Amino acid sequence: MSLVNLASVCAHLNNATKARLGLTSIPNSNLHLKLCQALQNSGYISSVVRGGPTPPPTHPILGHPTANDEVEGVEPITRDNVASRRLWLGLKYWQNESVLGKVKLVSKPTRRVHLNVEELRRVVRGEEAGYVAGLRSPGESLYLSTDRGVLEARECVEKKLGGLVLCRVL
Amino acid sequence: MSLARPARCLFCSFSRAATQSTRVPRRQFHPSPAQLTNRKPKFPNIKAPEASSQSVPKPEDFKPYTEEEKAYLAKEYSAAQLEAVKAGEAAIDPKDLAEQCNERDDPLKLNYVDDFSVIEPGIDRHVRAPESNSDYNFKLKSEDDFVKDFGRFFAEMPDNATGADFVKFTDELRLTHGKEENELNPHSALVPDLFGPGETIDEPRVEERKTAAEKGEKERSLQAEEMTDALKSLLLATGYTANQIRDFRLKTLVSHSVVNQTRLGKVRRAYRLSIAGNGNGLLGVGEGKSDEAADAKTQSQYRAIRNMQPIPRYENRTIFGDVSGKVGAVELQLMHRPPGFGLRVQYLIYEMCRAAGIHDLAARVSRSRNKMNTVKAAYEALMSQRDPEEVARARGRKMVDVRKVYYAGKV
Repeated sequence: MSLVNLASVCAHLNNATKARLGLTSIPNSNLHLKLCQALQNSGYISSVVRGGPTPPPTHPILGHPTANDEVEGVEPITRDNVASRRLWLGLKYWQNESVLGKVKLVSKPTRRVHLNVEELRRVVRGEEAGYVAGLRSPGESLYLSTDRGVLEARECVEKKLGGLVLCRVL
Repeated sequence: MSLARPARCLFCSFSRAATQSTRVPRRQFHPSPAQLTNRKPKFPNIKAPEASSQSVPKPEDFKPYTEEEKAYLAKEYSAAQLEAVKAGEAAIDPKDLAEQCNERDDPLKLNYVDDFSVIEPGIDRHVRAPESNSDYNFKLKSEDDFVKDFGRFFAEMPDNATGADFVKFTDELRLTHGKEENELNPHSALVPDLFGPGETIDEPRVEERKTAAEKGEKERSLQAEEMTDALKSLLLATGYTANQIRDFRLKTLVSHSVVNQTRLGKVRRAYRLSIAGNGNGLLGVGEGKSDEAADAKTQSQYRAIRNMQPIPRYENRTIFGDVSGKVGAVELQLMHRPPGFGLRVQYLIYEMCRAAGIHDLAARVSRSRNKMNTVKAAYEALMSQRDPEEVARARGRKMVDVRKVYYAGKV
């Protein structure tokens, strides 16, 4: 679990939304994939597709690439091509502003921040806990890496899970 | 030639090297080769507008009918209809079709399909029949009047009269005495009789109305004598009445003098920054500069009134989420607070909150605390609030205000 790469992903997402990109790519890794899927579940990004070095074809109706493309088919991952795989993310914009606001890394490669359920409850209520500022704005969310994958902080509280705090999205 | 650079073959310098690494236009501070062209990303990205754009029709897409199609049409339509179809096809330029026949996808597009040919009472703004169209003293014509009309028609009838003349006469025949517009352009379902300011359902008689109007004119003329040109233009621009403007909360927050250094010496002028609010969600900031301090103050107040904009408020008492603003070196954060917390903010932001009708707020002003920039930064912060409904729509997820649900909307 490299937080160095995750930091560069966060910075890249910030730059991509500022540049008004519709489709961008990040290096492929299981952590990135899980985080992106969590972001997609929250509605911050429109699509997460694992593809090669070139952009995957767009869906004729949806207007963005889909993970299970029935027309073009999905290239299976083999030992030969796994190194060249990238995650292609469809970014969303609404009312001339990007839906994905600012993505900021909370844990740093040199200081990993873990929160247990009690602390997470306080964070979700908007209070500070364990060096993590509370979620105090509408649409703000925090993503944690837990035993059951990457989850949003509120989901963690629901499932009574603690974990490593990855990033905060506003 | 310095000794640090190796000696090269003279002819080699005429032929460019394959790599661009030797073509360095400026001093290099690092050993990696400088890129002369703009850096391109290793992995291509797709811009958002390109990703979302649907297939736009081109003029070439609109082709004339082929012979086969014409033969098929001939089976369905008569010759006259076919001629009409052909004329219609010829009348419209394919370029116009391509330009106008696609759906808009810009941010200002409408959420519904409409060609604006009719006024929809539910959707569109009401068009009110002009008040002058109404005539409250109209009378229906009597039989004698109609007899007179018919008599005039027959008297003025030309020698070679046709049925069309009679139809025209009946179309133009008025059924009432009084104003023509009252009969021809009356109030209807599409043009409902909404009341204007000062109008009532039991419209007074002409004499009474006249006196009322005269009275109003007198009052207005009295007010107009007091009103300055600036106030008149403010009323005209904003649509507020003088009474409404009197009720606004105006406060001059920053006042100092500014100096323009010219070759003739220093020219001093007064600077004022005022805020205006209605105490119920509207707030504006205005600046004024003038030789006279009083003039600068009124100028800034009027500008503040002109600049008034709605500020989102949560439960009409605090703000949505924590927001921050930055103007110059002033950086500040505004933080929402629970009911009954009060305004624990510095006096400039306190006055702004009072004017806007915010009752629970905390603020932290960091770095500089310049008064002028603090007001501007606070305004910027208040305007940068994110509406939860918009966030929910943008993300395509449902968001529920738990406070509202828990207290059954009674908060």
